[in-house]
Amino acid sequence: MSGFIVYLLTITCIWGIQAFSLNLQYGVTGLVNLGQIAFFMIGGYVSVILVMLAGWPIGLGIIGGAAAAALYGMLLALPTASLQQDYWAISTLAAAEIVRMIFLNQTLGSPYVGASFGVTNIPQPLQSVIGNNVYPLFYLGLSAFCLLVCWGISHWLLHMPFGRALKAVREGDEVPLALGKNVRSMRIRAMGVGGALGGLAGALFAHYNAFISPNYFLPIETFMVWAMVIVGGAGNFAGVLAGTLLVEVISASSRFVKDVIPVDPRVLGPARMIIIAVLVIVVLIYVPEGLLRERRRRYAGTHKPPAGQPLSDEGPP
Amino acid sequence: MLLQILFDSLIRASELALIAVGLTMVYSVLRFPNFAHVEYATVGAYIAYLLSVTTGLNFAIAAVIAVLATAAFGLGTDRLVFSHLRQRSDIILMIASFALGIAIRQFVLLFWGPSPQFFSVGWGGALHVGGAHITPVQIGIIAAAVLCMVSFHLLLNRTKLGVAMRASADNTPLSEACGIPTDWIIKVIWLLGSGFAGLGGILLALDTQLQPNMGVSMIIPVFGAAIVGGIGDPYGAMLGALLFGFAENIGLNINWSPLMHSLGLQAGGYVFIPAGYKEAIPFMLLILILLLRPQGIMGRKSS
Repeated sequence: MSGFIVYLLTITCIWGIQAFSLNLQYGVTGLVNLGQIAFFMIGGYVSVILVMLAGWPIGLGIIGGAAAAALYGMLLALPTASLQQDYWAISTLAAAEIVRMIFLNQTLGSPYVGASFGVTNIPQPLQSVIGNNVYPLFYLGLSAFCLLVCWGISHWLLHMPFGRALKAVREGDEVPLALGKNVRSMRIRAMGVGGALGGLAGALFAHYNAFISPNYFLPIETFMVWAMVIVGGAGNFAGVLAGTLLVEVISASSRFVKDVIPVDPRVLGPARMIIIAVLVIVVLIYVPEGLLRERRRRYAGTHKPPAGQPLSDEGPP
Repeated sequence: MLLQILFDSLIRASELALIAVGLTMVYSVLRFPNFAHVEYATVGAYIAYLLSVTTGLNFAIAAVIAVLATAAFGLGTDRLVFSHLRQRSDIILMIASFALGIAIRQFVLLFWGPSPQFFSVGWGGALHVGGAHITPVQIGIIAAAVLCMVSFHLLLNRTKLGVAMRASADNTPLSEACGIPTDWIIKVIWLLGSGFAGLGGILLALDTQLQPNMGVSMIIPVFGAAIVGGIGDPYGAMLGALLFGFAENIGLNINWSPLMHSLGLQAGGYVFIPAGYKEAIPFMLLILILLLRPQGIMGRKSS
């Protein structure tokens, strides 16, 4: 049981970083990225390629994976940044599927590595130094450390003029334009930062799981990240982390539910996805701010908005 | 060879058009892309399967009931989910539709499992026409789609209901001010749109197979068809469906070597898109369209 809890917490830390990435894009900047999983996939695959084929040390491989995902995010945003939000969302979804198709068709190094076979025996950092007994605990510590660093960086970014400009982009194109900010460039940079976080999470996942295949990166995984952000509370990092834990508990629940109630495991898989999807819809309708609502900075001269007003109508930045 | 590509493209376009027209109609009035729309095709196909194969009803009757049931189902999703979110931003509606699509698909998976199912209508084998082959089922698919599109055209242009629908799509508050019962028109649009999608799903399943992800696997070509024709424009969506139908089938059969040669990348020989990338063709096309002409090839600027 304690082994399961360590697993659950590790996965929550890794996906928490991924949810932070989407929170920076959607919760802060208002970008609807329906291809979030592409960051995770690129981070994982690039790190694995750098470590296993190019022989880089694992630490550098993970950083390389994050950098590659950031680059992908910025390259994707470069031509699409001025699209309407709904078109932007569809283009991110299409781009993520193209990336997945490339990894599904390309073998890596030898004929039975990569493509639909996936990559097995991915090396784990410091595996030989740390004993097998405490290794899961070590990886939990590593993931938690990365999560805290990402949280710190996000917090720092948001309190810079850059972060405030990102929030202005969320409120519609006119606000940042009135402040003399370039919306296009803000979107590109937000995708870069989001990509770095998502890529880091993907690289951590690849080295934790020791196996990756294109089947891990289906569009439904992007939906899981969305569920974490929406249920937790878009814009609030603590809320998003709580949302991540909740979604991961529901996802992992099939492991112990079948011991309590006799249900067919084939039913449990779809059933937990239905629960998560319905939860998202209920939250959107009845609790639009999520579990924890975003904390708005107040400035001298702005007054508290009346209760029940939609978020986007609150005071000017 | 050429005739075969023509047949395959027309069949694909028929299925895409039926689904894309409904998507674009809902968008024109409610101003959000309904990501759950493609799942109505899955629902339609599985209801028809339930009625015709599991309970043994005549296929034609089963299909008609399934289309009606899917229409009601689409309206139901609006009552249950989207009608509560009318006052919210289109982004929230979009995310809700994404979640709804997942819920519907997993529900189908829960009941029928992941393995493919088949209709067996037994309408005879393939006919050979000038070196190409086409089955009676496939001729039926094209005929059904053309019939639907023509009747939809007549509905839009020859009836009071159609005029009211076009007015609501053009400017909802203004048409409401003119005494058009917009709420009622929205219901009609949901019924028609999801009914068409249900029929599209049944036709697709007749041609190939039933699978829980049959709807979501068409999401990009369907959205592409709607966007390329200028989202909100049903005629544009039909044209877009033709474009995507042809692009998917022609893309694989083109020798790209001359193009590569002129770009100085490769000299001579044959360069084909690998079959593993077939599904990437509509994705690429969609992104190209969004980059080059996001307002659609018909050129009407979306507001």
